[in-house]
Amino acid sequence: MMRTATFLLSLLGVMTSAIAEEPGRFTDEQLNFFESKIRPVLVDHCYECHAAGAKIVQGGLRLDHRDGLLKGGDTGTAIVAHKADQSLLIKALKYDGVEMPPKGKLPASVIKDFETWIAMGAPDPREAAPGGPRPKVDLNEGRKFWAFQPVSDSPPPIVKDGAWPIESLDHFILAKLEASDLKPVGDADRYTWLRRVSLDLTGLPPTPNEIDAFIRDNSPRACEAVVDRLLASRAFGERWARHWLDLTGYADMMGTSNNVFAEHAWRYRDYLIEAYHKDKPFDRFVREQIAGDLLPATSPTEQAENITATGFLMVGDVEIVEPDKKKLEADHIDTQVNKIGMTFLGMTLGCVRCHDHKFDPLQLSDYYGIAGIMRSSPSTHKIPFGVWSLLNSTDLPETPVQLAARQKLETDHETKLAEMKAEREKLEGERKSVIAELEEIAKQEKNEADAAAKTGVVQTADETESPLMKKERLTKHRDALSARLQPLGPAIQHAEFFRSKVPRAFAMQEDDQPADMPIYIRGNPYAPGAIVPRGVIQVASWDKAATIPAGQSGRLQLADWLADSRNPLTSRVIVNRIWQKLFGEGLVRSVDYFGTRGERPSHPELLDHLATRFLHDGWSHKKLIRSLVLSRTYRLSSTNDPMALTTDPDNRLLWRSNRQRLDAEAIRDGLLAVSGELVPSEGGPALVLEFTENCGDLVQIGVNPPNYSHRRPRPTQEFQRSIYLPVMRTNTTNLDRIRNHFDFVNPAQIAGQRPQTVVPTQSLFVMNNDLFRKRAKVLADRLIAEAPQADIRIEQLWLRVFNRPITTTEQKNVTTFLRELDAGLPDMDAAAKESLKWQELCHSLLASNEFIFRI
Amino acid sequence: MLNNALFSRRRMLQTAGCGFGSLALTDLIHAATNPGAVHFPGIVPKAKRVIFLFMAGGPSQQDLFDPKEFIRERHGQKIDSPLRPEVIQVGTEKYLALGAVAPVRPRGESGMMISDLMPQLSSIADDICLLRGMNADNPQHASATNQFHTGVFTEVRPSMGAWISYGLGTENQNLPSFISIHAPGLRTYGSGFLPAAHQGTPLTVPLSEQTLPIENLLNVSSSGAIQRSRLDMTRRLNQQLIEDLHGDSNMEGMIQNMELAFRMQTTTPQLVDLSKETQETFDLYGIGSGKGSDRNGRACLLARKLSESGVRFTQVTMDGWDHHGDIRGNLPRLCDQTDQPVVGLIKDLKRRGLLDDTLVLWSGEFGRTPWSQDLSGTAPIDTHGREHQPESFCAWMAGGGIKSGFTHGETDHMGYRVVAGKVHIHDLHATMLHLLGIDHTKLTSNHLGRDFRLTDVHGSVVKEILA
Repeated sequence: MMRTATFLLSLLGVMTSAIAEEPGRFTDEQLNFFESKIRPVLVDHCYECHAAGAKIVQGGLRLDHRDGLLKGGDTGTAIVAHKADQSLLIKALKYDGVEMPPKGKLPASVIKDFETWIAMGAPDPREAAPGGPRPKVDLNEGRKFWAFQPVSDSPPPIVKDGAWPIESLDHFILAKLEASDLKPVGDADRYTWLRRVSLDLTGLPPTPNEIDAFIRDNSPRACEAVVDRLLASRAFGERWARHWLDLTGYADMMGTSNNVFAEHAWRYRDYLIEAYHKDKPFDRFVREQIAGDLLPATSPTEQAENITATGFLMVGDVEIVEPDKKKLEADHIDTQVNKIGMTFLGMTLGCVRCHDHKFDPLQLSDYYGIAGIMRSSPSTHKIPFGVWSLLNSTDLPETPVQLAARQKLETDHETKLAEMKAEREKLEGERKSVIAELEEIAKQEKNEADAAAKTGVVQTADETESPLMKKERLTKHRDALSARLQPLGPAIQHAEFFRSKVPRAFAMQEDDQPADMPIYIRGNPYAPGAIVPRGVIQVASWDKAATIPAGQSGRLQLADWLADSRNPLTSRVIVNRIWQKLFGEGLVRSVDYFGTRGERPSHPELLDHLATRFLHDGWSHKKLIRSLVLSRTYRLSSTNDPMALTTDPDNRLLWRSNRQRLDAEAIRDGLLAVSGELVPSEGGPALVLEFTENCGDLVQIGVNPPNYSHRRPRPTQEFQRSIYLPVMRTNTTNLDRIRNHFDFVNPAQIAGQRPQTVVPTQSLFVMNNDLFRKRAKVLADRLIAEAPQADIRIEQLWLRVFNRPITTTEQKNVTTFLRELDAGLPDMDAAAKESLKWQELCHSLLASNEFIFRI
Repeated sequence: MLNNALFSRRRMLQTAGCGFGSLALTDLIHAATNPGAVHFPGIVPKAKRVIFLFMAGGPSQQDLFDPKEFIRERHGQKIDSPLRPEVIQVGTEKYLALGAVAPVRPRGESGMMISDLMPQLSSIADDICLLRGMNADNPQHASATNQFHTGVFTEVRPSMGAWISYGLGTENQNLPSFISIHAPGLRTYGSGFLPAAHQGTPLTVPLSEQTLPIENLLNVSSSGAIQRSRLDMTRRLNQQLIEDLHGDSNMEGMIQNMELAFRMQTTTPQLVDLSKETQETFDLYGIGSGKGSDRNGRACLLARKLSESGVRFTQVTMDGWDHHGDIRGNLPRLCDQTDQPVVGLIKDLKRRGLLDDTLVLWSGEFGRTPWSQDLSGTAPIDTHGREHQPESFCAWMAGGGIKSGFTHGETDHMGYRVVAGKVHIHDLHATMLHLLGIDHTKLTSNHLGRDFRLTDVHGSVVKEILA
């Protein structure tokens, strides 16, 4: 990535002194020198990357015409006529800071030729620049693209079948279907709808009681009642917070290397759950993500929340062990800028680190405008020893009650620590005296042996305990003391490391000296170019950029720009994301990319209609989601229709509902819910740092930062919702192996939509993994305990797992299956046999598509 | 987003037609097709498959292939640091030259330099091509490993094996086209934004009955028959659902996969079963209980078998090369664990006529410094180790289309900077693809509106090493 020439700041000074010389001034002899000594070298060693024919002109430097040499590339001029020692080209050939050609240094004689040539004034007859100059980004042209146009509402279109729509959005869908001579398939049955909406809103299937209540509810508001119940549940926050985490690169590890624990990351996760639960208006939410620490707050709790929110920019993959800190800073800023671009704006800003965007009207100045803001808000710091850095964290304000509770915790902790230290001192003292006694015995033995050797007389002891016995006793005692001392060392180390109980969050902070930053040429922090004023993306701006007051980073202004109702991207992008979670595909299918090479919206007017409503409804997630899931479109069955399939095989027009395979979390959480084992959680740390054995060496010296390995889980973790489990970067814990197999988003990635792969190792997982096997057992035993009659058990089973009544065919199949099992199993205790039979039956349902998909 | 095209009913029938279950290997399949298979005019493929021997941790080139007189003469003495002042290293502050652990001598007709620690490799010097100007961009294991496998170290991108599978498709319909034995982390065998069919299959060579070659392979029911009835029950439920919905390709895929998975429980252990191999083969690969090379030997033998059966990209990872301390104690042990297996593999490929169209690559994610590292700050020089070094390191290649008995690339007087024949990771990838008949600038996949390549916007084929 970083292999283009490393140009040095100091060399920039010479760029202005380049003097273009006229070719007429050169003698034939000089030009001959160029032709025989210089041109062949340029052709052989440089043109591949630095001429019109190059696939990519590296560093913007062209060496195939005279002006190219004099004008130079991104870093400035390549040669200074008559001054070989000031010419970047010579430095590069000499491998002095810059190394060209990259494949190996040219012979000294050739370099000498170049020096001679430059001393002559660089005679060069090549005039015309082959190929034209690079086109610049045209902002006016760029603004014509749909995504950069202001959001504009249009009234719902007239439809032929006026009875079908329930919601205004249904008009948009039906109008398009009618225009293509398509009819929506019928509605899904009530069981299917309930399961669908429960999974989509909370990530959990409905319980038998919930099903019963809904089916019995004949009122026209039955659906609304369900939706309101789901939206109000904490489970909604848990589900939708996880969607947001997919856009952040969240993990409980700081970087990819060494499993360095990010012990405060969970606070951001908990903040998200709370934000979704409380339906925090999205504009407010966006402001908090970028600049929460700078927002006014009326209470310590609110302030703590605001600070924690900026974890958005902290929780991604940070290579904290990168020993080159300039590079670390540049790379981390890159992940932040890229995250802001993709998450809020649907733009691939990462491409603009090195050059203007190839397809979209995004310029280097857009990237470095935002990068400058990030650079003015440093997020890591180098620690005084070792090579690594750590994420910055901020003390969170506490309420008096919290403060008191925390201080009590700390006092208790200190007491415990003091006790352990006293214990260690005592044991060590005891051990020392035992050792001394043992040494004394050894000395005595030696003396006696010496004496015996001299005199030939062996003295016998007249004590009750023989020296041998005493030695044995003392040795045992010493070993026992050592064994007791052994765990105390790490325990004390651990207690000292985690002494502070002050609540902290990984959070953004303002730099003392915020400043504009230079373009990093080709993304290289060692090749600074022109300084770019901090700002926002021009093509998506409706006004001049807000001025950043002196002494501020500009995050506040960036946040205001992102969260402005006039921003053409923010509302469209989030509304499309919400749509995708509920309907399977986005109206713009490339949910993370709204650029020219992305997909066009299938229903552009609908997208704008929803975006407008979203803004009118105070940027409320819940209001939008409520209207979407109560629509007729959402209610559609997912059954195929052969006619519609030929016209619109991808279902872009939504003539039916899209089926979705559940994601890893929904499968795992669903299993625990169905077996009745799911344990509610209030959140809190995901990593089990309280157990010493999970922490690596905590003494802060040496080469590696303290690390984490998930050796000993908390007992409840096995039964908590997946969002509360630790997210590792390089490996997984035994708790969540399912993530490996069912398309969990890699935490180094930003991905608004997960793929749904179908590979055989998934089948192995559902067939044999403990996650399924144990749930099947628990579910079986529960059913057996709850109902003595097989037919009631079966009904319950179907209701729990498939959330619908069992059919008669299925009933027959089950009976046959149980009979077969009965015959196939060896003789055993009747109860055990019953349990085993039902476990097999439960497992067969849990492993089926009806459970793993939502239709 | 759905990678379901591969599992349409027709496709399944076709696949079934060419003999499911007939081979022990069959059921590992990911049914890789060749969505990206393109012909690249002007490139004649020289190799059909790749075996990548990944020396995780970073083997020391100063000790193995690129010793420097300058360093040897100054063993234990201070030398000038060539590092940029911004780059921090720990335990190297004294910059003490650290001479090679053991003599490194010219071998074979070409006089290729190879350490005494690798007697087997020394004996086949004329079969390999040594790259002494390797160059990468990141000094940390995880990042450098990502770069070596995917070309980049920050974003999540497809691994080279996935790209090759994507570009060439499978040579054998009954096998996955990319298998990674003892894979070092998820990202090294991921398919990124390429279809999941091209993702590598991680495999463990079981050294005992307790280790499973693939996760979740052990039937949890009380017998095979009971499990079979359970799966039949599931299948009935699945079929009913598909009928009710009038078809769903993803669900069909799941149904087929469950049958595959069922068979994998018996076929996969057969696939990795080496018990029927001869003693001569065991000796060739250094396999034998109690031998340090046993695990790697088994992995290499399995790699040969898989490769021979048509796996496009087989990776074997041998770790333990991260010698920050006591390199004099540690390096000989690692060489002992790997020399025989690696060379056994080359010899075996050669005698089977496979080396001509199999490309073998041996490399770590980076190399190690010419100066010593001592974290204690007080240990005697002969117990020191070396720090990571991506600026220059050594790799070697052998087989399909590669010059043999050839050394390419040169480093400076101390062995820090490449001065000639630099081969960046991107160049290595470009060359590997070229040998397989793929133009690295044309093998692309569109993601977020952009055509991505394994070599990103970099890389050029190293023509000097082509046979």
